[in-house]
Amino acid sequence: MSRLVKKSPSLCVDLPLDNTDVCNKLRLLRQLMTSCYGPTGKLKLVHNNIGGHVVTTSTSSVLLAAISSSQPLVNLIKTSVLNHVSRFSDCGLFAACLCLDLIEQAKQSGLRGNVCIGLNRHFLAVCVSYLQREDCCCKVKLDFCSSHNLIALARSVISSKPACLLTEQETLHISKLAVQAFLLTLPCDKPGTVSLGQTVTICVEGHSVLNSAVFPGLLVDVTGVLCVNKSDNLSSHRMLLFSASLAGDIPELGEGIIEVSSGVDTDARILDQLLDLGKQAVEDDVKLFVCQKVIHPVLQHYLRSRGVIVIERLGITLMEPLILLTGAHPVATLHTSLQPKAYGKVRDLSIRQFGSKTLLHLLPHGESAICTMILCHRNETMLSELKLVCQKTEHVLRLTLREPYALFGGGCTETHLAAYVRHKCTDGVTESAAVLGCSESEYLLGMDRFCSSLESVAKSLEHNGGNSLIDLTHAHNWTVHADVMNRCVEG
Amino acid sequence: MLRSTEINPRQPVGLQELAALAAVAHSSLGPDKRYKFIQDDTSGESALVCSCFRIFENLELSSAVAQLVHETVQAQQKVYNTGSGCLLFLAGAWSRAALECVHRGISVSRIISGMSDGFDICVDVLRKCSISTDGLGAVKPDSCTTTSHGLGLQVSKEPITEDSRASLHLRGTTSVGHKTLNPSGHRKIKLSRHFCQPDSKNVSTAPQPHQVFNIAHIAEGLSHGCVRAMNLVVEAVKLHQDVSCSTFDVTKVVTCVVPGLPEERACVLPGCIVLLSDEQASVAHHLKDQPLKVALINGDLSHTFRHLGFSRPAGVQHVIEQLALGSDEEEVWMVKVVALLLNLEVNLILVSGLASEKVIQHCCRRRVLVVDKVKASILKAFADATAGVPVTYATQLTKHCVGTGVKVEIRRDLGGGSERKSSTAVNISTGGNSGLFTVILTSCVRGKLQALEDQFWACAYRLHHALKDRAVLPGAGATEMLCVHHLRQRAVTAYSTQESTAGGAADLDRGVVLHLMADGLIDYISTVMVNTGRVSKVRARTVVSQQLQEHDGHVDIAAKLSQLVLEGENEDSDLKSNGMDVYDNVSVKQEAWRKALDLLFLVLQTDAEVITGVDQATGAQENLMML
Repeated sequence: MSRLVKKSPSLCVDLPLDNTDVCNKLRLLRQLMTSCYGPTGKLKLVHNNIGGHVVTTSTSSVLLAAISSSQPLVNLIKTSVLNHVSRFSDCGLFAACLCLDLIEQAKQSGLRGNVCIGLNRHFLAVCVSYLQREDCCCKVKLDFCSSHNLIALARSVISSKPACLLTEQETLHISKLAVQAFLLTLPCDKPGTVSLGQTVTICVEGHSVLNSAVFPGLLVDVTGVLCVNKSDNLSSHRMLLFSASLAGDIPELGEGIIEVSSGVDTDARILDQLLDLGKQAVEDDVKLFVCQKVIHPVLQHYLRSRGVIVIERLGITLMEPLILLTGAHPVATLHTSLQPKAYGKVRDLSIRQFGSKTLLHLLPHGESAICTMILCHRNETMLSELKLVCQKTEHVLRLTLREPYALFGGGCTETHLAAYVRHKCTDGVTESAAVLGCSESEYLLGMDRFCSSLESVAKSLEHNGGNSLIDLTHAHNWTVHADVMNRCVEG
Repeated sequence: MLRSTEINPRQPVGLQELAALAAVAHSSLGPDKRYKFIQDDTSGESALVCSCFRIFENLELSSAVAQLVHETVQAQQKVYNTGSGCLLFLAGAWSRAALECVHRGISVSRIISGMSDGFDICVDVLRKCSISTDGLGAVKPDSCTTTSHGLGLQVSKEPITEDSRASLHLRGTTSVGHKTLNPSGHRKIKLSRHFCQPDSKNVSTAPQPHQVFNIAHIAEGLSHGCVRAMNLVVEAVKLHQDVSCSTFDVTKVVTCVVPGLPEERACVLPGCIVLLSDEQASVAHHLKDQPLKVALINGDLSHTFRHLGFSRPAGVQHVIEQLALGSDEEEVWMVKVVALLLNLEVNLILVSGLASEKVIQHCCRRRVLVVDKVKASILKAFADATAGVPVTYATQLTKHCVGTGVKVEIRRDLGGGSERKSSTAVNISTGGNSGLFTVILTSCVRGKLQALEDQFWACAYRLHHALKDRAVLPGAGATEMLCVHHLRQRAVTAYSTQESTAGGAADLDRGVVLHLMADGLIDYISTVMVNTGRVSKVRARTVVSQQLQEHDGHVDIAAKLSQLVLEGENEDSDLKSNGMDVYDNVSVKQEAWRKALDLLFLVLQTDAEVITGVDQATGAQENLMML
């Protein structure tokens, strides 16, 4: 391939933080992030320059994914925060705010780079070890005996995104649903390694949030293709799942070339093969025929005329939950005959109507930890934010299984930690400074900067110009795991 | 590609933009709508638009707020087909209210909670003053003439108890605005202005049992100035009534637009009417008045068509082993399909997608009529009525898929000859009652046809929703007036608690927000009045505030207002003298208001726009901050 633009010579720049342009960009990014932070955070309208779809959000994962910069430093921070979010789902904005604030504070303090790094690492270790202590004052142990704690935790995550535009009542409803969905994904009485189930989310636009609901089992959108006969009263239905496309085209040709002699109608040949599969499925008494991709209309017609429920275009995301639910082995080719062990089972089928959507409700034959959450909201942009928040909540709730603690929210944890660090590290300054290889004044300056970074993140929860008072009463629960903070500083 | 970020330091910019955009909707409010020309300066093309959503459809929107507005309007239009003007106006009026709040130093969260409270108050009012349409089926549509207004409002299975409750309500309303909580939660009459008019006492003292709404009466009230369009809807419903009475199934309505005929020729006919070319018309002529067999094709009718999701392999080469085969693929396909069609004795093919010109001609020669671009819902209606099964490929047809009992009829009276291509109107109908009917819309002015079609659908959906909700609202600003009254009352309560107790600034702010919200609704009412062309803005406002003061909560205002609004209403002079009842849809209004507030809340909470894909040069020009 020829190069369209002549490659320009490489340019080396040292000390990027001394560059005002870079600093301005970092400050801009910090403003962008801190203004989004918290339940009263400001929203951002994300759109492209030619007037495409507008996304209204204050979620770091959406916002950061949309922006890209000419500055590698900005991109570095962006990518590390996105990595953090992909692993923990929560606290992306917190990580970004703290990181950018620490950089700014470090630069202002005038401390040498390596000293600064050493000091921050030290204070972080102090924080982390404190958070892991049993007598840590800013965390609560979650009580799994009552749902109250879990709902409070879910609620604090859900209420942190104002773009969902939820009322108090709606927030509570969604929090309860999130906890219910979480509990449904916990398998009961299974010996051996426990693996959590899955929550599938289906969005229905144009309805009140209070119509949202959680169901055990799996709901599949069958809008428009509905032709379910009154199902026979069988205790279980045999089902067949294809992951290969049954569209009747020639699949996965790759780079190669197929030569076809002119008399041969390839489409008809493949269709014959598809119909053979269909015939076998009907003979084997399959009641539910599902394909991840497209099913040829002729095959659909054939199956339906024989009383089989056909679902096509299931999508990759629903494949795993469906496999877990039914125990079916997805068939990846149409060139072999169907193996008996490939068939799965469903206990019960019913139709549910949600607004404009018709959903087929599949109940598991045996024990299964799959549930479906139907999320309703009045418009698309609020709905997409709500979906994100619910997924985040699910993840946060799951993390509590590993570490059943929650930290105080509303900025309390941060201010508390700052107070703790200030108190703890004023003793034995000389020794600590000696260990870290810096002067006492540098140590104290570094401590002050680190603590004020924490405090400024807490303060940025207030967006309406009000005063933020430092008060250690426990208002909300906000999850910040120890390792979350670890990553913030390194990022 | 470079992306950039812009941060608006002053928040209200978005609100100002919203208010400015909403100004577009002013002239499309109320019964007297104004047409607008939208002209493209570069191409010189222009469009004639009459509704708010068509305006947005024709504008080029680049800003994020405008795009958000457009999406909201589209969402409203998609579901309700009406109410987008009201949505946009209120979004604008309330954003001015929010701006005022911001200027007065009220925090965003307080504005939002105050306005949400205000909305709850309004929803409560809507719920309480909705009028049930129950009992509709009990009376034949013809037994009440359209002018028998003022009597037909009473609806109840137990007329006497309901009457007493209603008259109780009448006494109650003079002092307290809302005392009529219906414990059953069932929608019944909560408010009717007839009980408050001087002559209405006769009605309540001498109840006329089973005096019920008739559909023409409701339709008339919902026409909102589009009397002609609504008359078509009523005709359609009457045709429809034999099939099912309590609902109006809009999916079985087709509109057929015939340019060149005067507007008076618009009519409703049973069956599905399509315009066909001469060649197709001649086939139809052969087929008329005999029972036909029909094939239903879900997709295009051509040999190259493949179903959605079929990917044509790129690397297939056809190797020709023998030379001079001659026949091309299309020919082979066509011969096969035509043979199949003749074998199945199919005379008519309805195609939801496109049929290629060649196929149509081929079929015409064999006297098979092909009609393409048939709406999916119509195809389904035909499938139900003829027992045919829609298939994707013509080659897939079998005996079981073919429907029977279809008739075609040529309507010479409707042929549009003014076009370059002359066309013949053909009515395709099923023998039985398929419930399908076609509304013929005509106009000599071609540019107006779109607006006429929109008006028809708006009316059709208004009636559809009224029957679905089984309730309507008193229209012509009456509902808004009640909302204003309640909002103001609540505002006053908020002020007083602020003074008396330690409620503090929060209550004061709440009062301000509610008051400003009420002002937004007053603005709405007065704009509707101004649009009638009878009153000036100043006078409209004065009248509204006088009414509010004089009657202070008395529902009588509704009557007086509707009189005012309707004074200059429409061409039929006998309607206005009697003070026709005007109704609004419950769900449409509530949803439009909610969407307006949602839009406002999103914009209110937004402080920055992130624009992706801006290059450095234009970014610097437009004063954007680059990231």
